[in-house]
Amino acid sequence: MRRILAWACLALAILITLFPFYWMLRTAITPGRELATDNFALLPEHPTLINFERVLGLTTREETRAAGGSGANLDFFLYLRNSFIYTGLITVAQTLFCAMAGYAFARLRFPFRDALFGLFVAALMVPPIFTLLPSFAVVKQLGWLNTFQGLVAPSMLMTPFAIFFLRQFFLGFPREVEQAATIDGAGKWTLFWRVVLPMTRGPLLTLALTTAVWAWNDYLWPLLIAPGEETRVLTAALGIFLKQSPNNAPDWTGLMAGSALSVIPVLLLLVFFGRRLVDSIQFSGLK
Amino acid sequence: MRRAAALAVLLLTAACGASAQEDGGKVTLTYGLWDDVQQGVYQKCADAFQKANPGITIKIQQSGWEQYWQNLTTQMVSGEAPDVITMQASYYPQFVKNGQLLDIEPMVKADKVDLTQYRAGLAEPWVKDGKRYGLPKDWDTMAVVYNVEQAKKAGVDLKNLTWNPADGGTFEKAIARLTVDSAGKRGDEPGFDKGKVAVHGYIPELRDGALGQNGWGDLAVSNGFSFIDKNPFGTKYFYDSPKLAETVEWFKRLSDKGYTATYDKASSLGVDSVLDSGKAALGITGSWMINTYLATDKFAFAPLPEGPQGRKSAFNGLADVVYSGTQHKEAAWKWVKFLGSTGCQDIVGDSAVVFPAINSSAERAMKAHEKAGRDVSAFTSIAEAKDGTFLLPVSDHGDEIGQIVQTALEEVWLGQKAATTALTAANTQVNELFGTR
Amino acid sequence: MSTLSLPKRGRDDRRVALVFLAPALVGFGVFYVYPALLGTWYSMTDWNLLSEPAFVGADNFVTLLHDSLFWNSLAVTGYYVVLTITVQMVGGLFLAALMHRLTRSLVLRSLLVVPWLVPNVTVGLLWMWLLDADLGFFNHLLTGMGLDNQGFLTAPDLAMPSVSMINAWTSTGYTALLLYAGMCLVPKQVYEAAALDGAGELRTFFRVTLPLMRPILAFVLVVSLIGSFQLFDTVAVTTKGGPVNATRVIYYYIYEQAFTHFKMGYASAMALTLVLILGVLTFVQMRILRASTSDLA
Repeated sequence: MRRILAWACLALAILITLFPFYWMLRTAITPGRELATDNFALLPEHPTLINFERVLGLTTREETRAAGGSGANLDFFLYLRNSFIYTGLITVAQTLFCAMAGYAFARLRFPFRDALFGLFVAALMVPPIFTLLPSFAVVKQLGWLNTFQGLVAPSMLMTPFAIFFLRQFFLGFPREVEQAATIDGAGKWTLFWRVVLPMTRGPLLTLALTTAVWAWNDYLWPLLIAPGEETRVLTAALGIFLKQSPNNAPDWTGLMAGSALSVIPVLLLLVFFGRRLVDSIQFSGLK
Repeated sequence: MRRAAALAVLLLTAACGASAQEDGGKVTLTYGLWDDVQQGVYQKCADAFQKANPGITIKIQQSGWEQYWQNLTTQMVSGEAPDVITMQASYYPQFVKNGQLLDIEPMVKADKVDLTQYRAGLAEPWVKDGKRYGLPKDWDTMAVVYNVEQAKKAGVDLKNLTWNPADGGTFEKAIARLTVDSAGKRGDEPGFDKGKVAVHGYIPELRDGALGQNGWGDLAVSNGFSFIDKNPFGTKYFYDSPKLAETVEWFKRLSDKGYTATYDKASSLGVDSVLDSGKAALGITGSWMINTYLATDKFAFAPLPEGPQGRKSAFNGLADVVYSGTQHKEAAWKWVKFLGSTGCQDIVGDSAVVFPAINSSAERAMKAHEKAGRDVSAFTSIAEAKDGTFLLPVSDHGDEIGQIVQTALEEVWLGQKAATTALTAANTQVNELFGTR
Repeated sequence: MSTLSLPKRGRDDRRVALVFLAPALVGFGVFYVYPALLGTWYSMTDWNLLSEPAFVGADNFVTLLHDSLFWNSLAVTGYYVVLTITVQMVGGLFLAALMHRLTRSLVLRSLLVVPWLVPNVTVGLLWMWLLDADLGFFNHLLTGMGLDNQGFLTAPDLAMPSVSMINAWTSTGYTALLLYAGMCLVPKQVYEAAALDGAGELRTFFRVTLPLMRPILAFVLVVSLIGSFQLFDTVAVTTKGGPVNATRVIYYYIYEQAFTHFKMGYASAMALTLVLILGVLTFVQMRILRASTSDLA
C-alpha cells in the first residue's frame, strides 16, 4: 500500500514535469485564431502544422498573418546554426584549454603556481554580473559586438570552475603511468596529448556536457553582445517573437512552436548521451 | 593598459575580424523599421528609389518593437546602427543627447526641402536647439473601435459619446450596456454578476507607459490634463494633476464594476485579439490599425468620447532620421529626402497602411480608404477639428519616465494606492530627473 | 623567484607550463582581471556607453544608498532565493528518497532532468503561457473548479511565488538527481543496522540518511544559492520586473540600469556593492560549511 502511494507520488512528479511540454505541443498545433475561444480539450479542434511552418519560414507573410501571427520573419535555421556554433566552439575550446591549464596546475612546476591557482579559485566567488558589464565594454573596445568571436571569447578560453574541476582529476591521475611514458622519452607536451587526455575522457566528457547545456541555454550574454541577425542565437531569437509591435500581444502559437523546436536538440542530447549525462550530473555533485 | 589588453587579444585572433565593406562606388544603405505591416510598402519605396539612384541599394532591417529599441542601442554602441532609422518622437531625445543622430538642417536648407508640405505640427518636434534630426513620414490619431454586432444587440449608439470622470457619461453607459455576464444579464441590469463576465464592455490598454496614447491619455487631456510645461523639450511634467488622477480613478472603478477586466487579470493577448474573439466589445485604437480591423465588416470606428474639454486625440508622428555614425551621409540623406517626399509618401498613401505626413499623400490614403469602402472619418475628422489633437510629450529621460509613471499607474489599478498619492510621488521623481522639482 | 619545492631535475617546467597556461591566462587576464579593474573604475564614473566616462567619485554609491529600488531589489531577490531553495530542496529530497527506495530506472531519472536541460527562456515562455490570466491552462483548471481565475504573473502577491515555482520546476529534478547520488553513497550496512534496531522508514530517513548526507546537502545548497542569486532569464521573459517592482530582482535591475537607461557607471557601482554583500555572505557560509563535514569521513 505504501509502495503504491510512493509510486503514485513519483508518477505525479513525472506528470508535473512533462505536462507543460505536452501543452506546449498542443498549443503549437492550435490555429492562432482559435486560441481565444479554445475549449481546452486534449487536442485542438482543428490541429494544424501552420505554426511550425511559419516558424521555419515556410509560409509567406500573408499566410502568416492569416494564421494570426505577425508577419515578421523568424529565421529559425540561421539561429539554430548560430546556437550550434556558440555552443560547439565554447564546449570544445573551453574543455581543451581548461584541461591544459588544469594539468599545468596539477602536474607542472613553475613559479607562483599556487598563488596563481588561488587567484583563479578566488574568481569563482565573484558573481558574474560584476565582470559582465565591463566585459561588454572590452568586447566593444575590440570592435567585436555582433560577432562570433565576441560571443565566445570570454568563456572559450577558460572558466575558473572548469580549471578547478579538471585539476582535481589530474591530481588523482596515477603518476606511474606518466613516469613510464617519460622513460620512453616523451616530453610533457606529448605526454599530455598522448597519454593523459585519452585516459581522462570521462571527466572531460562530463565537463563538456555540462558546458554544452550551459551554453545552449545562455541568454543574457548573447543578448547583450550579439543581438544582430547574423549572430543571434536561438534563445535571444525566441524573445523576438514575444512582442512584435507596440500594441500587439505575444504570438503564443508561434512561440510555442518555436519553443518546441528549441527543445529538440536537448532531447537528442538526452537520447544519445542519456546515461552519460545523468551520470555527469550526479557526478558533478560528488566532487 | 586598455589598448594593450585589446591588442593582445587582437593579435591572437587577428584572422577572425573582417567586416563587409562597400565595393567600388556601390553603396548599400540599411534602413531600420519595426512595423512588419509596413515593410512591404517601404520595400516598394526602396525599389523606386533604387531605380532612380542606381548606385544605391536599400536593405530593410525589420525587427519587433521591443527588440528594435534594444538592438538599436547595441548597434549604436558598436557603431553599426542602420544608416537610416525609423524614429518615434518620444525615443529620439536620448539618442540626440548622446550625439547618435545627424543634424540634417544644413541639407534641408541646401536642398530647399519644403517643410510646409507636411501636416502642420509634424516637423517641429524633430528640431532641438536649432538642429533638425528628422523628416516626418506619417501621422496617427485615435478613435473608438467596436464590435458592430454586439453594439447592435445592446442597442447602443456609439456615434456621439460623452465622457466625464465623475459618472463616465454616455461612454460608461454604453460600456455597461455592452458588458454581459454568463447568465446573459447586461452590466446595467439588476442581477448582473460582475464575478462571471462573459463579455467585457471595454478593453482598455493599460500598459501604455507614460503617454497613455491608446486610452487614458486621450481621456485625461479631454478632462483638461496637460502633460508638460512645454512641448517639445519641456522640463516640468504635471503627472500630479488632479485631472489625471480623476481619469485614472475612473479606469479603476470600471474594473471594480466588472465592465473591464481587472489590471492583474487582463488578457495577455492584445486588444485586437480579444476584440476579435468577442470577449470584449469596444476599445480605443490608433489609425495604424485601420486595415487590421476593417479587414472584415465585424468592426467599425466611432469618434473618441467628448470630454469636459471636448474631444481630444493623441497626435503622433514618426520620422526618418540619419545615424551619425553612417559611412554614407550623402546617400543616407538622399534616401531620407526621398522618404519625406511625395515620391515615397504617395506610394504609402495609395496602399493606405498609414496616413503619410505630406498632406497631398494623406489625401490619397483617404481616397484609397473611401474607394475600398472603409469609413475612417473617426480618425480624420478629429485630425481636422480645431484643437482636436494634442502632441504627445517629447522630452529627455523618456525611458525612465515611462517606467516611473507605468509603475505608479499599476499601483493605482492594482488597488495598492490612491491615484493622487501614487501620481504625486511619481511626478516628483520625474521632475527630479530634470532637476526641477 | 620561488625555489621551495623545485624537483631534483634542477629546472622547473616553466616554459612548457607557459604553453599549457597561455589560453587560460589570456582569458583570465582579459575577461576576469581587466574587467574587474575596469568595473571598479566605471563604478566611480558616469559612463553611459556612448560618451566618454567622467570621474564622479563616490556619487554613484551615495545615490545607491538612497535608491529604494536597489534595496527593494535585494529584498525581492532574497525572498526569491528562500522560496525557490526551500521548494527545490524539500522536493528534491523527497523525489530522491522515493527513487532511492523504489527504482534505479535511468529513464525515470532522465525524464526528471529534462526541464533543467531546456533553455530558461523557453521555460519562461512556456509557463507564461500556462499561467496566463485569461487563456492559461491553470486558470482554466481553477475556473473549472468554480474558483476565480488568478493573475499568477501579474498580481503583486503572486508574481514572485510564481516565478519561484517556475524555477523550482526547472531545478527540482536536477537537485533530486544530485541528492540521489549522495544517497547511493550511504553504505547498505547502515540501513541494515537501522532496520535491526526496528527504526521505521521515516525515522531512518531523518535520523540516518539525512545526517550522513550533510556534505552533499551543503554542496547542493551552496550551488543553488549562487545560482538563484543570478536570476535573470525567467524575469526578463515573464514579468520584466513588474508588477510594481514585485519581481525586479537585482540582476534584472542592474541590467536595466546599464542597458535600458545607459547608466553603466551606476550599474557598475551596484554590481560592485553586490560583490561585497555576497562576499560577506560567502564568508558566513564557509564558516557553516566547515562545520559540516560528514559523519562518514
